[in-house]
Amino acid sequence: MGMLRYIGDLLLKHKYRYVLGVIFLICVDILQLIIPWILGEATNSLESGALSRDTLAGFAISLALAAAGIAVFRFLFRYTLYGVSRSVELSFRNRLYAHLQELSVNWFNTHKTGDLMAHATNDMDNVTMATGQGVIFAVDCLLVPIAALAMMWRTGGFALTAASFAPLLLLSVVVFLFMRIMQSAAHKQQEAFSNLTETARENFSGIRVIKSFVQEEKETERFRRANEASRRANLRFIRLMSMMFPSVMLVASLSFVIALWYGGLLVINGTIALGSFVAFNSYLGMLIWPITALGWVVNIFERGSVSLKRINTIMDEKPEITDRNTALPAPVAAGKGTVTGGAAGKGAVTDGAAGKGAAASGAVDTAAAAQDPVPLTDTDLEFRNLTFTYPGSSTPVLEDISFTLKKGRTLAIVGRTGSGKSTLINLIPRLLSVPDGSIFIGGRDINDIPLAQLRGSIGCVPQETFLFSDTIRNNIDFYRGFDMDNIEKASKTARLYDNIMEFPRQFDTVVGERGVTLSGGQKQRTAIARAVLGSPSMLILDDCLSAVDAKTEESILSDLKVIMKQRTSIIVSHRISAVKDADEIIVLDAGRIIERGSHASLISLGGYYSDLYNRQLLADEIEEAE
Amino acid sequence: MADDKHLEDTGFEEEELEAKAYDSRLMKRLLKFAAKYWYLFLSALVLLFASTAADLARPYLMGITIDEFIKKGDISSLNKIGVYFLLLVLGAFIFNLLQIYVLSYAGQSIIFNIRQLLFSHMQKMPLSFFDKNPIGRLVTRVTNDTETLNDMYTNVLVTLLKDFIILAGTVVIMFRLDVKLTLISLAVMPVVIVLTVFFRIRIRKVYRNVRTSLAKINSVISENISGMRIIQLFGREKENFARFNKAGEDYHKAVMSQVVTFGLFRPVIEMLASLTMALLLWFSGLDMLKGTLQFGIVYAFVNYIGMLFQPINDLAEKYNILQSSMAASERIFLILDTPIEDDSGTVRLTDAVRGEIEFKNVWFAYSGEDWVLRDVSFRVPAGETVAIVGATGAGKTSIISLLSRLYEIQKGDILIDGINIRDISKDDLRRITGVVLQDVFLFSGKLKDNIRLNETGISDEKIIEAASYVNADSFISKLPQGYDTEVMERGATFSSGQRQLLAFARALAFDPAILVLDEATSNIDTETELLIQDALGKLTKNRTTVVIAHRLSTIQHADNIIVLHKGKVRESGNHQELLAKRGMYYSLYLLQYQKDDGVPV
Repeated sequence: MGMLRYIGDLLLKHKYRYVLGVIFLICVDILQLIIPWILGEATNSLESGALSRDTLAGFAISLALAAAGIAVFRFLFRYTLYGVSRSVELSFRNRLYAHLQELSVNWFNTHKTGDLMAHATNDMDNVTMATGQGVIFAVDCLLVPIAALAMMWRTGGFALTAASFAPLLLLSVVVFLFMRIMQSAAHKQQEAFSNLTETARENFSGIRVIKSFVQEEKETERFRRANEASRRANLRFIRLMSMMFPSVMLVASLSFVIALWYGGLLVINGTIALGSFVAFNSYLGMLIWPITALGWVVNIFERGSVSLKRINTIMDEKPEITDRNTALPAPVAAGKGTVTGGAAGKGAVTDGAAGKGAAASGAVDTAAAAQDPVPLTDTDLEFRNLTFTYPGSSTPVLEDISFTLKKGRTLAIVGRTGSGKSTLINLIPRLLSVPDGSIFIGGRDINDIPLAQLRGSIGCVPQETFLFSDTIRNNIDFYRGFDMDNIEKASKTARLYDNIMEFPRQFDTVVGERGVTLSGGQKQRTAIARAVLGSPSMLILDDCLSAVDAKTEESILSDLKVIMKQRTSIIVSHRISAVKDADEIIVLDAGRIIERGSHASLISLGGYYSDLYNRQLLADEIEEAE
Repeated sequence: MADDKHLEDTGFEEEELEAKAYDSRLMKRLLKFAAKYWYLFLSALVLLFASTAADLARPYLMGITIDEFIKKGDISSLNKIGVYFLLLVLGAFIFNLLQIYVLSYAGQSIIFNIRQLLFSHMQKMPLSFFDKNPIGRLVTRVTNDTETLNDMYTNVLVTLLKDFIILAGTVVIMFRLDVKLTLISLAVMPVVIVLTVFFRIRIRKVYRNVRTSLAKINSVISENISGMRIIQLFGREKENFARFNKAGEDYHKAVMSQVVTFGLFRPVIEMLASLTMALLLWFSGLDMLKGTLQFGIVYAFVNYIGMLFQPINDLAEKYNILQSSMAASERIFLILDTPIEDDSGTVRLTDAVRGEIEFKNVWFAYSGEDWVLRDVSFRVPAGETVAIVGATGAGKTSIISLLSRLYEIQKGDILIDGINIRDISKDDLRRITGVVLQDVFLFSGKLKDNIRLNETGISDEKIIEAASYVNADSFISKLPQGYDTEVMERGATFSSGQRQLLAFARALAFDPAILVLDEATSNIDTETELLIQDALGKLTKNRTTVVIAHRLSTIQHADNIIVLHKGKVRESGNHQELLAKRGMYYSLYLLQYQKDDGVPV
């Protein structure tokens, strides 16, 4: 299907609406042609003396009727055709977005958000413009001139038509040429404006340096140059604009002068009737707009196709991480699904903190099960000689990583920035493409576990918290449909509940750009609440307490430790306090495990870990000093 | 007609706020900018009269032609009128062209001036102004808001008159041609005006919905793209798709109501025009039957009716332009009315600045009572180096900003060579202090221009000399373009060590009496580190230096060390003295400098 491969079916789906809309449009065009004809006929009958009160009333009424008809059909075609293009836009944009959701995190890392936004908005606009306005103009530009010319020929004869039409041919050439030149002028104008914007932006970002080095006046001079360049580019564009519109008017007026003079002669000669002369002039008037618009139509379709190609490029992108055919849901232990009381199941995390969660852990929530797959129950995790290299890179970020983590135990990972900790974490929920035979959960290669089931079993708090500009409740629940009790419990576990209660609308407070701004620590605690709420069978905490003060950290950790006891947990942190109780601690450096063992054994080893430990003792001491 | 209740439903951006359509106070200030170009506006006005007259004359001439020449078979007069027509058309063309250009020229010149004024005013704002206002907003003031004003100068001021002239001219001519037909033609006008006003109010609401729902789509997309990791982690694709779809449907609804509103308005107005035509046909037909009316006059009327509708629609649109330009000008004037940095100091420093620094009981807070520095006092004798150390948040960086008076202190005094810095002219004060910040800001442009900034007085030779002295030449000369290398993406292609060396070269090229330096904390490779240490030694020699030190070697070489903790001076002395004390410096030393392998704590 070529260029239309992702949008063609949407257009076809609405083909009847398109046909209907075009029929309405043709009705308008025909009725428009009738009006000059009525005026002409009225004139003729007046001149020939055949006009009577009755015929006059007939003319006036038919004129009114034609006008009413035009109004009705014009509304109908606009509603139908613009409506179709907007419906197509809605489906097409949804299609693009649905596709984006399937692409991997790695793909998003290599594509700028701004560009993707531009594709979903500007490019989408251009495509809509082509499928709506473009179609309307195309029909108009094709149909109206042909019909009007035919009527001109009929009323004024060939010679008059040809003579009056000649300048209009010139007009289409003039407009086309202007469009070409103006495009480049408009481009330069845009460039100069971006340059102006960039000059101002850079100045404001570097204002400290500018002030320190007393460069204000020189910078104002620099800005003046950009300002002047922008003014000049604008004026160049304006010069063309101010020439184009009067030129169009000039050429169109030439046509009228010819029609008036030559047509007048023909009337005097008696070749054509005065009524025909009147009608002819009206038809001529109808020609000007479509001919002027011709260049524009070409432009709309050009822009539309360029934009469509850009969107197609994204649509062509194959999702890197998908379920393979062999992926089968892991067997669910008999009886797990029969746990009654979904709410109790969901409350597992927070109940667990109170000491009665053991029975409920791993329970399946009946409500959620309707759409979400059953979480994994056997969550022993094994890394087997994993080596990972980012696509397009030659040096591995993780090399020869092996460890086994039994269900109910906790692994802690420490290491400097860039040592590969976050990459390791991202591999477990398959946010990155995992090499076969390197990571196993419950003895199964994770590539064989359906994505939804795998991810549904993991509660993850990533290093960088991301909140949606929505209510705090929705941010914790994250559209999973948990009830308020559980959301409150999760927020208590994350030590967020008291903060929320202080907000103006409590759980219904909107956070983010348009609402309350949360502190870094509050954001992290929201993410923790979000992760523990799902009662996941695996818990991954990626340096998620860095912005939380020591006291709060301690109290959150004491609750989390109870929860972690019942599931497979991984915790990444710089803080000894967060990792010291883990069953095993591994130290990563440049993608390799350099130290491993318990807190006590690593301290006595006297390596990186013990060094980190000593520094933190010192740092705490200094912090305490007053 | 600015309905205040709109202020309640906040748009997505503050730019959406509705302002009054007309505010004489703002208008007066706006007109002041135009006053300088009165002659351009005057000539545009004259040209406008001419072109409008030519436009108005055409239907009239057409009518005469039909009645007097065509119907009477007067060929020679027809030939003559053909020539007149041609001249009229050419005249209209030239007048129109000139008028558009002259007016745009005036508009562009005014915008140029406003931009320049606004920008130079912003340059004089205190640093705290830039802390408070997001950069994007400031840029918008300088670029888009001024652009909005352009619309006012070119499309409202003079062309508003044009619409009135056309309206008045048409009506006058019509009355002169035939009173009865004029009254008939004008009969629907009140309806048209009411409809137009009604439509404008409605379309503004519709537009607002379209804009807000589009902004919503944009924010949902941008949010979902940024949060894609979380969405995939929690398997929330379906739910977020639903959210996205909801935003898309809301937009669709808003757009469709726009389609309906426009779809109704245009055809209804056109229908009214056609109905007028039918009425005209009926009444004029009756008169023509009686023989009291000439055909040409009817023909002219038909054309004039068309001319009446356009200006009414235009006037309504101009109201909108006026409204948004009032809002834009309000925002611009708000900045122009913000007072500039205090610079009342009159003492001019000569070249013979010794560079002695003294902080006397300095108290400083960025806002309110959140003291960053509390009663800080220290003295740096001319030519000596003082190192300031302390944990993060101790207030070290503020000292740098205060010395060049980028912020004002609340209590105490800062003296240079015994002169209070408040009494020194700001330019001089900043000229004698060279600043190297931790995050080195590089401008787009060539490397050499990043060293000399805008000072054309600093020659290429001097740049190379400075760069060589601080060891920056070694890496610059290895670049294929050398000193002409273009800085890309704010210098992201250079390592932080290289950026530091560039900043040294920049500071040295300006040869300041006092050097203020915030050492980079990030990891720097050993080779570059050695180059930096060497350069630092050269730079600080015989120059008063205040350094926020992160490196042991820098501290060891300092004449004096000040230990800052929670905004207070805790200890001071040289390295050995402070170590012997076993106090806070000792702890800091153990923590940060003892074994420098850059583990973040």
